[in-house]
Amino acid sequence: MSKKILIVDDDPGVTYTVKHGLEGLEEGFKVTSAESGGKCLELLQSEDIPDLILLDIMMPQMSGWETYNKIKENLVWKDIPIVFLTARKDQVAKNAGGFFGEDYIEKPFRIPELKQRINKILEK
Amino acid sequence: MHINFSISLKLTLLVVTISAIVIFSLTYVNIQQQSEFFEDAYYEKAFSLTKALDASIQNPDYLNDKQNVQNYIENFTSLNPDILKLSVNIPKENILYIFASTDVDSIDKPSGAYNDLSYEEGAVIYIPDHGENAHRLTMLAPMNLSGNIFGTYEMILSMDAAYNALDTQMRNLILISAISLFAMIFSFLYVLRRAIVKPIIIFRDATKVIGEGNLNKKIDIKSHDELGDLANAFNNMTTDLKNSRTKIEKYNKTLEKLLSQKDEFIGQLGHDLKNPLTPLIGLLPIITEQEKDPKLKEHLQLLTSNAEYMKELIFKTLQLAKLRSSNIQFDIQQLNLKNEIDVVLNRQQPLLKENMIHVENMVNEEILVQADKLRLEELLNNLVSNAVKYTPNENGTIIIDAVKDKHLITVSVKDNGIGMTKEQINRVFDEFYRADKSMHERDSTGLGLSIAKRIVEKHGGKIWVDSTGKGKGTTFYFSLKSGYGKNN
Repeated sequence: MSKKILIVDDDPGVTYTVKHGLEGLEEGFKVTSAESGGKCLELLQSEDIPDLILLDIMMPQMSGWETYNKIKENLVWKDIPIVFLTARKDQVAKNAGGFFGEDYIEKPFRIPELKQRINKILEK
Repeated sequence: MHINFSISLKLTLLVVTISAIVIFSLTYVNIQQQSEFFEDAYYEKAFSLTKALDASIQNPDYLNDKQNVQNYIENFTSLNPDILKLSVNIPKENILYIFASTDVDSIDKPSGAYNDLSYEEGAVIYIPDHGENAHRLTMLAPMNLSGNIFGTYEMILSMDAAYNALDTQMRNLILISAISLFAMIFSFLYVLRRAIVKPIIIFRDATKVIGEGNLNKKIDIKSHDELGDLANAFNNMTTDLKNSRTKIEKYNKTLEKLLSQKDEFIGQLGHDLKNPLTPLIGLLPIITEQEKDPKLKEHLQLLTSNAEYMKELIFKTLQLAKLRSSNIQFDIQQLNLKNEIDVVLNRQQPLLKENMIHVENMVNEEILVQADKLRLEELLNNLVSNAVKYTPNENGTIIIDAVKDKHLITVSVKDNGIGMTKEQINRVFDEFYRADKSMHERDSTGLGLSIAKRIVEKHGGKIWVDSTGKGKGTTFYFSLKSGYGKNN
């Protein structure tokens, strides 16, 4: 059974990379993408609940942190593991005391590395 | 207050010495002149006394009455208290005998030391004698009566009265000299203090205040002399300095602002570059792997390594910009240096193996340093990679050691690689500088050592490099504050 991943990032290059990088690998990932926090919440309501969400932090309108809060507030979604994607490692570290995802990955990343992180979290 | 003491003391000593020399040499010359004057005066006196005796005796017939002559000279002596002894010597068979004398016991005896005197020639002899406690003048003069010489007078005069007076005078003179010497010293010190020492103290205090950064300090000396001029010049200088400092501070602020804007810009640009780099880093290796056409595969490999290099460059630049910013925070803790080095060497193991380089960690297990763990690892990492880069594959050796000196640990990373020229040593920590320009750019960003330097300096330490020349290996040193374990 393929793992369902939701990637949320306003940069289409990043979502494309994650989608094609992960789906191209033999284990089989099913990747859906959203270009904003709002779109992410919409997708969560209309589609199947993903196994894991990759969430960009710096997005216009609704930031990654806000989206994270909205997801965690929802009783149905709150257990979905969330991995932050960020270009600024220091921002994650700064907020680590407040709220923190399961993990974070710094851009740019290699696909095998991303896959390894995702598998590690999904195994738990 | 030592400056005050020192100048006064030196000048006072000088003045005292010169005054003492002048006063005492004048006194000495005075004594010499006075003594000569006294001797001459007493000679004159003795001579005139003998002439007075001649004039009183006048008639040679008186010499027949010995008692009368004796009475006469005794009487003469009592009238002249300076005369200690007076004798009249008359020859008998060419030897002078004492005919009459105030020294009664010597009468009729030969006249002693002076009996060989040829009295007939009428010689006058006088012998001054300055004994320990007495000053005397012995006078031998002819007895000339009615144009014929009948014998001699021997007269001893005491010069004590005159010399005692001279002593008293001398004592007074010395007393007055001493008093004037003291008065001179005190007035000299007073003038010195007012005119020189006090202004110097004012200058010194002002310099101190200005040195501490208060450029508003002015010197208030209004005297119309060199010191007044100096004070004016000093005040002008302070004003100029103040103006320059204000200008420099203004420029500095602008520069700081520009620098922080630059770092902000670098930060923003760097982070923004990471997004478009994601597809390159993420997808290029996958495509390269899947590509079957060897020519195309080679092209893709080149693209991949370029993308990797670009990523490295961005990360290093961001790191450097961050290390430059003033609000960067370090998590300083006590670290065991040997362990930290082992961690870094383990991580570098693949690179070391690939280059067949032997590394020795000779650091004493007990050495502790105060450092931020991640930054220290980054620093060691950069130094080891650098050493690997410039060390030949065969027989390459890197030795890491550390010495402790009081509160400082100096770490050395020594390789037996290609070494460095003086020019390279001077520039090795410059950003984007590469010692070997022929080296392919993708092997090095030229930022590793700049980052190392920043890390060390942000820890309050120093980093430097030493090489005996091309082909003779290179040693990098850096210093860190020592930790304080149980043993120290």
